[in-house]
Amino acid sequence: MNKRNAKQKKQISNWRFYTVFAAVALVFTGLAFRAAYIQVIDPEMLREQGDRRTHRFLANQVHRGMIKDRNGLELAISAPVNTVWADPKVIGQHQGLEKTRQWRALSEVLNKPHDKLLAKVETAIEKQRRFIYLGRHIPPSMAEYVEQLDIPGVYTRAESKRYYPYGEVSAHLVGFTNVDDDGIEGIEKQFNEALTGEAGKRHVLKDARGRVIKVLDEEESKPAKDVYLSIDQGIQALAYQELKKAVKYHGADSGSLVMIDVTSGEILALVNSPSFNPNNRSTLTSRNSRNRAVTDNFEPGSSIKPLVVLSALEFGSIAATDMVDTAPGWMQIGGRRVRDSKNYGEMDLVSILQKSSNVGVTKLALSMPVEHYLDAYYNAGFGSDTGSMILGESAGVFYDRRRWSDFELATLSFGYGLSVTPLQIAHFYATIAAGGIQRPLSILKLDKPNEGERRFSATASNQVLKMMEKVTQEGGTGIKAAVKGFRIAGKTGTSRKAVAGGYGHDYYATFAGVAPMSSPKIATVVVINDPKGDEYHGGDVAAPVFSKVVSGALRILNQNPDQLPEKTLEIAQHQEGTPSV
Amino acid sequence: MDNPERERKNFWQRIHLDLPLLTALLCLMGLGVAVIYSAGGGDTGLIIRQLTRLGLAIVVMLVVAQIPPAFYQRWAVPLFALGCGMLVAVLLFGHVGKGAQRWLDIGVTKFQPSEIMKLAVPIMLAWFISRKPLPPTFRDVFIGFVLVLTPTLLIAKQPDLGTSLLIASSGIFVLFLAGLSWKIIGGMVLAFSAFLPIMWFFIMHAYQKQRVLTFLDPQQDKLGSGYHIIQSQIAIGSGGVSGKGWLNGTQSQLEFLPERHTDFIFAVFAEEFGLFGILFLLALYLYIVGRGMVIAMRAQEAFTRLLAGSIMLTFFVYVFVNIGMVSGLLPVVGVPLPLVSYGGTSMLTLMAGFGIVMAISTHRRLLHNNR
Repeated sequence: MNKRNAKQKKQISNWRFYTVFAAVALVFTGLAFRAAYIQVIDPEMLREQGDRRTHRFLANQVHRGMIKDRNGLELAISAPVNTVWADPKVIGQHQGLEKTRQWRALSEVLNKPHDKLLAKVETAIEKQRRFIYLGRHIPPSMAEYVEQLDIPGVYTRAESKRYYPYGEVSAHLVGFTNVDDDGIEGIEKQFNEALTGEAGKRHVLKDARGRVIKVLDEEESKPAKDVYLSIDQGIQALAYQELKKAVKYHGADSGSLVMIDVTSGEILALVNSPSFNPNNRSTLTSRNSRNRAVTDNFEPGSSIKPLVVLSALEFGSIAATDMVDTAPGWMQIGGRRVRDSKNYGEMDLVSILQKSSNVGVTKLALSMPVEHYLDAYYNAGFGSDTGSMILGESAGVFYDRRRWSDFELATLSFGYGLSVTPLQIAHFYATIAAGGIQRPLSILKLDKPNEGERRFSATASNQVLKMMEKVTQEGGTGIKAAVKGFRIAGKTGTSRKAVAGGYGHDYYATFAGVAPMSSPKIATVVVINDPKGDEYHGGDVAAPVFSKVVSGALRILNQNPDQLPEKTLEIAQHQEGTPSV
Repeated sequence: MDNPERERKNFWQRIHLDLPLLTALLCLMGLGVAVIYSAGGGDTGLIIRQLTRLGLAIVVMLVVAQIPPAFYQRWAVPLFALGCGMLVAVLLFGHVGKGAQRWLDIGVTKFQPSEIMKLAVPIMLAWFISRKPLPPTFRDVFIGFVLVLTPTLLIAKQPDLGTSLLIASSGIFVLFLAGLSWKIIGGMVLAFSAFLPIMWFFIMHAYQKQRVLTFLDPQQDKLGSGYHIIQSQIAIGSGGVSGKGWLNGTQSQLEFLPERHTDFIFAVFAEEFGLFGILFLLALYLYIVGRGMVIAMRAQEAFTRLLAGSIMLTFFVYVFVNIGMVSGLLPVVGVPLPLVSYGGTSMLTLMAGFGIVMAISTHRRLLHNNR
């Protein structure tokens, strides 16, 4: 037996063991290389994949800020609402659809047909979706009810909905948000970032079941800011009301009103009609959604005339007391005619503005060098934006021609051949009112007035302002713009709308003015687009709106009447003398 | 019995244990407990159960080591026959669990007969081959193959791919170590390649095919069958060179990794201890296999040599298949990482195997003197 064992031992040679062990060692080396490959040579992708499974950035919800007027009245606020959503996979796993009664109740709450709701969920389950909306922006009380239905896979989430207490009054300016609470129009869009704030971020570690294990890093949220507009909602509401009334009364296409605080450059009111209800956007059309006061260009017509007078005074081609001969009521320039409505004869500058004489301003325009004359337009701000930063603001159209014919210069002097926005006209009037100092406009409430820049001399500006006062007095074109107790300077404008191949019979009726004269506070422009009916003149259509709005605004702004003593005395005497009248 | 040689035996030899092997095994077990603690999320109940099993396994090893190898030689055939009988019984009226019919209910407890076969097959083969003149003739090799394939196919039918693989390899190792001629080896490789398509179309279950397909392209079903492979590779890869530290692995701690304290424990280990940890672990395994091979080569009889060699190589196959599977080199088959993974039965069998190896290492002179 021993011998046999010995023989066997010899026959089972050791080299087989060595071979096998070498193979084992080789395989282990291979495994080590495999691990090294995964861990060291190509680990980036895997590590990133690992992080993608565990690291999450969570956002802390921040409520959207409010938009307020200069006095703190809320123009846009966020109200808490809830959204109902579903995880179709969870519904599928728990046979959630079998809870028929609950689904019926849910469809009732969400105001959606039962079968349609079920069909939507069923397709989502089939497609293995993980998230669908069932209903958005439902009141919190209903959300609580949905929670109580306790359907597996159906959840609610807190969101917020925008609400605009003043509705259509400030709709164009404030704009609105979409269903995801992002601003898509107006101030809501323009200041979306500030209003949204920055949601705080939490960098967390999550496990496979989605539970937060550890907060790795936390970034403070930047709270949403409230935006304070320069608007005075009291004036704004009055302006909208009067404008809407006028647009309706005259059967006009549309109308705009802009009011600027002369002393600071802040926009106090900016309204358009027609408007829309931002709380119910089904009323939204392209016609009523335009913020025409800043986006729509029109040829300003006679309301530009003070600029020509101002420019001539500055250049010195005429003095404030000089007379201009406008007879015979028309003049021939390069084969074309400029006319007045009648022969005014010799006129002083006051009468030229008061009667709005085209021949008068044409003579003034042609009395100075072209460069100086055109500079006045640039200095007035035409062709450039007002600095208001309002979304969609147009800079108007002011052609930069090499050569200007006399007739073109003449038409420019009575407001044709250039396009401006109502806001630009208001800006220009504010500049005159501020003694020739132009301040960039602002739609945001300012702590201190915008730094202005002198564009016109103070003397000439004050002279023109004084001349414009006559427009609203006896014999002027804008007498309907007068405000009881206050001295008003202004100018009417009635411009024909350009149509293909010339000018048609549609008009822009304008009134632009400054009040109170003794220490100018506000510059206001009213533009009524295409008034139909017998009245189409700026003095008849726009001036009454100006009068009512400015009168209200001066009261709201606590301005001292500057025409009171004489008038009250007069009225008092009158009443004494003829009590029965 | 009182010869001087006997006197020179030290304490460890007297209790029939091989100290180097024992040290390495305990080392491995300690490492395993640490990783299970981490993978189980600090569940002390889990640790207590594992420690109980380890204790039981060490006792089993101790007991088995006391039995002289000649005993197995004598009982090789009855043990093998009993094992095969039980495998048939499992197929006929076994207990179904986790979709496979692997358990036999013998009233007191349920157990897997395939575990017995892990030892019965190498014992049987070693007995059979060592009785024949070596190297084995073609006829003996053929009979040897039949002896191996019978239990292998019975187990594959349960189905339990991992175990059948281990058992087949344990038998084939015996044949190889006995001096299987290279011609036959070459022929086998050819036959196996020819057999692959047959296996694919006629033998493999759909889920097994799916595993192979998934192995070839895990990304095709990221959230389904590819999930294990991708997650475990991510866990290994995110460990880097030095690892994330004990208890700090995100993939494993945060439950992204399935089966993390059992079959996929290597991924947890790799994530937390990095490449250095892996190298240490592999070195430990290599040392154990090497020590076993030394014992096998020192054994004086063909039976003991073959048996010890086969047991050690089967241990190696465990390690290779498990790490290969977890690191994406092999398709997923349910093989635990020996002595590290949480789990009972396979550990008992393994330690019983080490008991046999230790018996072989310490009983040889006794055996020699008795004859």
